[in-house]
Amino acid sequence: MTFRTRILVIFATTIVAAVAMVVGIVSSSTRREFERSNAERTAALVQQFSKEFDLRGEEVARAAERIAEADATERILIDVNGAERDYSLHVGDASALSRSHGLDFLELVAGDGTIVSSAQWPARFGYKEAWLLEPVDWKSQTAFLKREDLAEESVLALEAVRVAARGDSRLYVVAGRRLGDSFLASLVLPSGMRALLYRNLEPGFSPQALSGAAPGDAPRLKSLIEQVQHENREATSVIPWTSDAASEETFHALPLDGRDKRPLGVLLIGSSRAPVVALVRFIRNVGLVVGGTGTLLALLLAGWATARVTWPVKQLAAGAGEVARGNWEAHVEIDSHDEIGDLARAFNQMTRELTEQRDRLVQAERVAAWRELARRLAHELKNPLFPLQITVENLERAKREHPEQFEEVFRESTQTLLAELANLKTIIGRFSDFAKMPAPQFEAVDLNALVRAVLRLLEAQLATSAAIHPEIHLDPRLPSIQADPEQIKRALQNLALNAMDAMPGGGTLRMQTRQYNSTVILEVSDTGQGLTKEECDRLFTPYYTTKQHGTGLGLAIVQSVVSDHGGTISVESVPGRGATFRIELPVTRPASAAGA
Amino acid sequence: MRRFAWQLLALISLTGLRTSAPAETRPRYGGTATVEIHEAITLTDPGEWPPALVPWVYDRLVRLDDHGQPRPALAISWQHDAENRRWEFQLRPGVKFHDGSPVTAAAVAASLKMGPKVAISSEGASVVIQDETPAPDLPGTLADSRYAILRRGADGVTSGTGPYRIAEWQAGRRAVLAANEDYWEGRPFLDGIELRMFRAYRDQAVDLELGKADVVELSIEDARRAAQRGLRTWTSAPFELIALVFERGRAPAENISFRQSVALSVDRAAIHDVLLQKQGEASGALLPQWVTGHAFLFPAARDLEGAQRTAAAVPKSGLRATLSYDPADALARSIAERIAVDAREAGVLIQVAPGGQADMRIARVPLRSSDPAQALSDLASAFHIGELMEPSAATDEVRYQVEKKVINDFRVIPLGHLPEILGIASRVRNWQPHRWGDWRLDDVWLEPRTP
Repeated sequence: MTFRTRILVIFATTIVAAVAMVVGIVSSSTRREFERSNAERTAALVQQFSKEFDLRGEEVARAAERIAEADATERILIDVNGAERDYSLHVGDASALSRSHGLDFLELVAGDGTIVSSAQWPARFGYKEAWLLEPVDWKSQTAFLKREDLAEESVLALEAVRVAARGDSRLYVVAGRRLGDSFLASLVLPSGMRALLYRNLEPGFSPQALSGAAPGDAPRLKSLIEQVQHENREATSVIPWTSDAASEETFHALPLDGRDKRPLGVLLIGSSRAPVVALVRFIRNVGLVVGGTGTLLALLLAGWATARVTWPVKQLAAGAGEVARGNWEAHVEIDSHDEIGDLARAFNQMTRELTEQRDRLVQAERVAAWRELARRLAHELKNPLFPLQITVENLERAKREHPEQFEEVFRESTQTLLAELANLKTIIGRFSDFAKMPAPQFEAVDLNALVRAVLRLLEAQLATSAAIHPEIHLDPRLPSIQADPEQIKRALQNLALNAMDAMPGGGTLRMQTRQYNSTVILEVSDTGQGLTKEECDRLFTPYYTTKQHGTGLGLAIVQSVVSDHGGTISVESVPGRGATFRIELPVTRPASAAGA
Repeated sequence: MRRFAWQLLALISLTGLRTSAPAETRPRYGGTATVEIHEAITLTDPGEWPPALVPWVYDRLVRLDDHGQPRPALAISWQHDAENRRWEFQLRPGVKFHDGSPVTAAAVAASLKMGPKVAISSEGASVVIQDETPAPDLPGTLADSRYAILRRGADGVTSGTGPYRIAEWQAGRRAVLAANEDYWEGRPFLDGIELRMFRAYRDQAVDLELGKADVVELSIEDARRAAQRGLRTWTSAPFELIALVFERGRAPAENISFRQSVALSVDRAAIHDVLLQKQGEASGALLPQWVTGHAFLFPAARDLEGAQRTAAAVPKSGLRATLSYDPADALARSIAERIAVDAREAGVLIQVAPGGQADMRIARVPLRSSDPAQALSDLASAFHIGELMEPSAATDEVRYQVEKKVINDFRVIPLGHLPEILGIASRVRNWQPHRWGDWRLDDVWLEPRTP
């Protein structure tokens, strides 16, 4: 990962994490606040329900009391408790009284518990209401929940009992109102809330017993209702109506007990979670927008910042690359005054010093080469000049001291002079050859054949040096290469002669060929005394020689030939164990020589 | 037994008249009596009329006196052969139909329709009735309103010979009857009768109280209220059967155990004492006690344990049924609801609904004849239980067995017999109807309205 990418990732991650954290904290706080508000609203609604419940209970109780105290009721009391009880006179009275008092239910019950008249179920006259005979002070008894069985159904009622009494005669007035949809409709519900009433009147769960619910609500609320029925205490549950979280509704359910403290109904207060879900979604969306925008800005900012930081570094890296490729004159243009600027200036200083050192070194080497050339020239020329000087001095002395012998001396001296001049000419020719090395003429060359040809040329010399044993290892699958056969042959000959010179006491001259990828390798080894490391380093320098009478141009010429063929030459040597010269040549014609 | 019943009725009738009739004054002619009824009569055919109203316009050959004995009407005398198969009725001379045509034996023979086994012919001034089976009670039978004598004109309008003729007819709404000046028994005191039809019971009671009507029908509830307010009422003998009828072809009703459990669960006493305001009689018999004399032999008491035991034999799925009633009949509704309550105690769930198809229904069938054989036959037709009836229920014993057979089939569950209760305006004088039927307005006169 690049420095720039790393910076971008760090910037983006930091911003996204910060935004996510803010969104998370705000969302969580919003949810908590909503739950708290919801709990307060639910409590208020429960309180309202209780208040309404009590209010209606008081109304029912007052209605029952008014009926019990009415004169008409006294007439009924006398008729139904007299010697000849005649209920037929009053069988319809409960209906009329219930209508006039705004009651849903009213039963007039004789002192023995027999129903005289029933508004809600007129046909039940004559049947018993045994529970009224329980020892209860009905006058002080507040309204209570009661299951009321009707002809077609059972309903939940808020009922109160009052007693009209004259002497020992009694008439129970059981008044009530239905607890259902109309009661729920009277509750003032805050927005997003609703109240449902389950009438716990059937043995099992009955969807029809749920008032105020939409079609299809009941099955989802079943488990909550059954939990309240079973445990007879409040419970809360979140009901998801659809897969959309906004459809969720929190239901708080509380049992409504009858006189026997068993739940006859369950009040459910539902609160929609849509507002909080919408708010959380809004916060999340804002967070996404802010996070996205921040990330984008972060990318731009990070790009700009990293560009400012990495551009000089890249410039420095490019300059270093130039230096690595040999361009020591590479220069970095950075105009900053920070650490990067210092680094750039140091780099430029370094390349400048490197160039200067290289120039000085080249100058030194050039001087050294000239000195070496002068020394070699002096040495090479001094050897033939000395016999010339002696011969000329012999001629002068013979002329002066032995004129008779001058002719003979002259003849001998002339031969010597010619021989030495020829020697001088040869030396001058070698230097001339090195100076004007021709361009190679490329053609397909069988390197193995060249090796064999060179060995044949050296057979005579090898025959005189019986102690040197030639040995060749040629790769039969070696491909032809594009090369100048004469120059390669000359280079091989030079290497072979050097090897033979390195083994004056005899040894093994080994020549071998092999292929390595797209190059062929030719090795010439001897088993002579070997070379030191310093000798190895300077061996290919022109005019450097380890021989007493060498010109120092042989290996320089070899290196020049190999270089003109796009190849390389190296030497490995272990002192005392001989040396190996290795030439690597490309199979194809080198690109630098393509136009030749 | 039947004679005993008639005597008992006569005694009760006299008692009722004494308690309800105001002091009589001298008769006077004139005035129109306004009569309101609940029923809507659409045709002038007496077969479609309430039997009590038929004698206003139409006479029969024979009429029954207060003791149930046949007395001459259009026929002044009659004879029969030894086997009671051939009867010869001599017609009253000089009687004319309302359209002016004379009442001849041929016209009477053409008017009478008595079934395929009875041949009716005329011989001079006599009408001969030849029955394939002995008919010892034929004069009593001919006193029934369905054997009223009429003449059907070319336009389909009927003419009778009764004390009043039809002067105006608005089918189902109103009729005006005018006094028959040539009535063979003398002109009635009233100039006419205005008959208002299709009047709700409550409206009739209000009209009576406001003096807008002279004779009205009263529901049981209104009768008690009217009595409490000192209005004049008249109660007939129990003549209307109220029964629970199981419909044929309905799954629950086809199970006799189900029918029996419902029948045993019914608390007739509660229905009679409270819903019927102790009017009429609670009865487990098809025909009232005063008609047959043996109604008390059929148990009417509730047997809840028996009902529960019988219901236990019925599959639980078969213990549900529906019960319908006439939506316009509040009493039928109350009775139906009470039956549902009683049946629930036995473990039978009955859903009560007004009208429509149901497994059971509340039926109210007025007896059109005081003759037990005819009444049984009428009930058989009304309840479609002809297969349970004997071809000829000639004796009390046979009729008892027939009735017992019907009762034990539990397809028709008698609940009781209701009387007819009328409200009579105080200005109506000499109101002397037969307790089992006819509203006799031919001898009634009206006191002038007090300003």
